[in-house]
Amino acid sequence: MKRLSLILIILSGMAFGYTAQAQTDISPERKKAIDSLAMEKIRDLGKYISIIGNKQTPFSEAKRVIDRTLELFVEDAQMGVSSLARDEVTYYGIKEYLERLMLLNYDKVKIEWFNIQYISDLELQPDGRYVGVITIFQRFEGTSDDGLVYKDVTKKDITVYVERKQTQIQGKLIGFWDVLLGDIRVVETTK
Amino acid sequence: MTPFPAILLLLVLLPWYAQTQSMGEFKYDETELYAETKQVNQFFRRFNGEEDKQGERLYAKDKDFRTYKLRKKYVPGLFNLENSILTDAAKENFSALVLDKEDPTYLDFHGGAWLCELKTVFTYQGVEDELTMFLVLQEEEVGSKWVIDGIYFEPFNDVLKQPDNSNFNDSKFLHPLSHELGFMNMFRVFNESDSLEYFGNREFKPDYLSLFFYEIKKGRLEYKTVKDLKFHFFQIDGWYFELTYYNRDGYNSGWLISNLLEIDEKNRDILLNYIYHE
Repeated sequence: MKRLSLILIILSGMAFGYTAQAQTDISPERKKAIDSLAMEKIRDLGKYISIIGNKQTPFSEAKRVIDRTLELFVEDAQMGVSSLARDEVTYYGIKEYLERLMLLNYDKVKIEWFNIQYISDLELQPDGRYVGVITIFQRFEGTSDDGLVYKDVTKKDITVYVERKQTQIQGKLIGFWDVLLGDIRVVETTK
Repeated sequence: MTPFPAILLLLVLLPWYAQTQSMGEFKYDETELYAETKQVNQFFRRFNGEEDKQGERLYAKDKDFRTYKLRKKYVPGLFNLENSILTDAAKENFSALVLDKEDPTYLDFHGGAWLCELKTVFTYQGVEDELTMFLVLQEEEVGSKWVIDGIYFEPFNDVLKQPDNSNFNDSKFLHPLSHELGFMNMFRVFNESDSLEYFGNREFKPDYLSLFFYEIKKGRLEYKTVKDLKFHFFQIDGWYFELTYYNRDGYNSGWLISNLLEIDEKNRDILLNYIYHE
């Protein structure tokens, strides 16, 4: 799936005649392709979180999935969590957050998605990469073995970094757009 | 103030959207999530009429891009309508200006004249305290970035104030022939630290941002976390508005205009000074 998206982005890059120099704007069509890739990574993240948080997942498998999850992120990405009762943000490194989730050891973890999401424009930052924010809403439900259920609805604002890279395929340099996730702010909603 | 305009907006925009999503045993009406102005970016899009009824981004080539019809539907729902201090007259006059058919006004993310007020928590000499940062978007050779334009921190202001030089200061000074004594009277300046600022020149203005950086570098001021933020917009000629996030149920939620004032140039400077605590 991941490879398919990469090919899609490469093709769209070629189709819209991208030149490596002085790319200052992203066409609406290319933006759509980048958005799809970013959303796919976010869905992967949700899938991995369900596996890590599930007690049925063997420890070694959970560790392997944590490593896979970290590959979705830029280095040093943080999770900033606030609640309705406390507006101050508490920070967790992504790895720390995932390891805590693994230790919570829910008997069952259910992450459900709302159909609503909002994908911001991409803004150019001084290092030449583009940055965007995707807002999603998720419902988390964790059931412990004694039947206790923890559930919440959160709004997640997820940073997305988009970078133009090059790779060699059969001796030819091909440009592609690479998407990595960054800091995530999690806000408990009243909804 | 009633939430009527927000409901009206939803009735116009959402008949197609009134769906309840069913996720397992969990049923949820998603129209509220659709209605929420979820990011500041979305506030710009809705204000400018750059988002269609389905929530998709519109571009200059699209038929409905920035049309009066679309903006007329969005703008009334961008005001905070619950327990609001906004007056109907201000909303009407402001809307009439920005939606003028001949000369409409749009917001520009890179247009300057807007700033963020961010509440943060620091520990100063071991005590936790709130510190307000003022951030502005700065354009760079490549891209742009938010930069710290100023801060307000009560412990700094308590110690170092801008002296009130509006009144004649007839007691705190170094007399004009002090130099003849090799300024041996300088000790008087430092006898009373409370009045130190009066010995500075007339234009002296405490630079709290330098002090902020200095205290952090000295290790006495330590960042803890962020708390809350809002935005101040001066981009629309003759108007000021404040943008605040409302995390609440209903259709009137998310980033909304929470304060709106008609201001001239002079009042604009006064208001800016007030925001920056200057």
